[in-house]
Amino acid sequence: MQTDKVTPFQFLVLVIFFTIGSSILYIPSTLTIGVQQDAWIAAIIGNLLGLLILWFFITISMWFPKLTYTEVNEKIFGKFTGKLISLLFVFMVILFASALIAQSSIFLITQMYPETPITFINLILVIIVIFAVRLGIQTIARSAEIFIFFFFFLYFLLMISISPQIDVSNLEPFFQSKMSSLLSTSFKLTAASTINSVALFMIFPSFVNEIKKCKKNFYLGTLIGGAVIVSITMLCILVLGSNTTASEVYPSYTLAKVINVGDFITRIEAFMATLWTLALFFKVALYFYAGVFGLSKILNIKEYRLLTIPVGAIVLVISIIIFPNIIYQRIFNEDNAIAMSIVVGLLFPLLATIVFLLRKKKFKKDPDFAKSN
Amino acid sequence: MLKTLAILIVTAVLVLLDVPSMLKNKQKKELVVYSILLFMGVGCLIMLAVGMKIPSPVDLFLYVEKPFKNILQIKE
Repeated sequence: MQTDKVTPFQFLVLVIFFTIGSSILYIPSTLTIGVQQDAWIAAIIGNLLGLLILWFFITISMWFPKLTYTEVNEKIFGKFTGKLISLLFVFMVILFASALIAQSSIFLITQMYPETPITFINLILVIIVIFAVRLGIQTIARSAEIFIFFFFFLYFLLMISISPQIDVSNLEPFFQSKMSSLLSTSFKLTAASTINSVALFMIFPSFVNEIKKCKKNFYLGTLIGGAVIVSITMLCILVLGSNTTASEVYPSYTLAKVINVGDFITRIEAFMATLWTLALFFKVALYFYAGVFGLSKILNIKEYRLLTIPVGAIVLVISIIIFPNIIYQRIFNEDNAIAMSIVVGLLFPLLATIVFLLRKKKFKKDPDFAKSN
Repeated sequence: MLKTLAILIVTAVLVLLDVPSMLKNKQKKELVVYSILLFMGVGCLIMLAVGMKIPSPVDLFLYVEKPFKNILQIKE
């Protein structure tokens, strides 16, 4: 049985890394494809929408503060249906973990290690993630606590060193896109960063120290992570222009390539790549942890660490086969992943709310029910 | 053949990490789940090593969502 708990600051750091995650690499181009130079407005709208959804998630999780997300499902929907829904959740989380590993290895191969076979980079990433998850959520959280300072140091370095090349005329003309396309584009960001944070509800109410403080930090972390994404999107448009940003696969990496401080400090993008490798690692580790831990809860296995190696092998297989070429990656990121997030992360919680309100009287007698509501 | 052998050796080492403690504590259910999952993972890895093609999960998604797209009349 795992007993280690996460402190509020550690939780804040984990939420920041989770929100930034893979979005820092892809979101600038996804948003600019939709709404050109208004992408930064879409990013802001997407984050505000995310806060609303987060409020909804937290309300659900507060009904049973001692249980994890999969246990809440079982409690509300009954044993069989609850387990089925939790299984779908585990499937989604494992698939996302493998997709993220595949994405980061494709990124590393195309930009840095062109001669290395992709299987080996996948293998190395999977081994690190298995290690981290076997050591427990406390270890992941503490390492995140150390790396967040490094992360923000690099982030501000990027911001400052790119600032001489900003061209404000790239942002003009303002508000050219239609409201409908603005909303649908910003929803992509919400799906990628906030709706997927349903995975964090394997940790949130039951494995944190001070729930009240962590609740505040959940909003704060989403806001800080969102601010990072908004600023990176804005910088991409300001420096590269909306056309280049839309046509690049990794616009924020291109952004680091054009850094030029007095013709002396140039081409430091490999150094800057630490930024996204860090964020990607923590997002994968959290997904994998949620998947393995959720699976152990569904099957009533006391020690989730036993499952890390077999599930890791499956993640390795999926990460090798999932993207045979870049078209699959585009399809997955823009259609399948969003559809899955909506079904698992929005539809099922909504259903849970309806069922909960119908059966509220029965739940009031439950020993796990929060006394405050 | 060499690749298959390498995968099997690594798997054997990994099994030695977890299985003895399960056998000692007589955790039968854990052992069954562990073996099924490991069999699935390692089996697929060997299939990849031999050179067989496994379809991507994205293909599965495209197959599943086709009827929904037809009903909702979403154009590609």
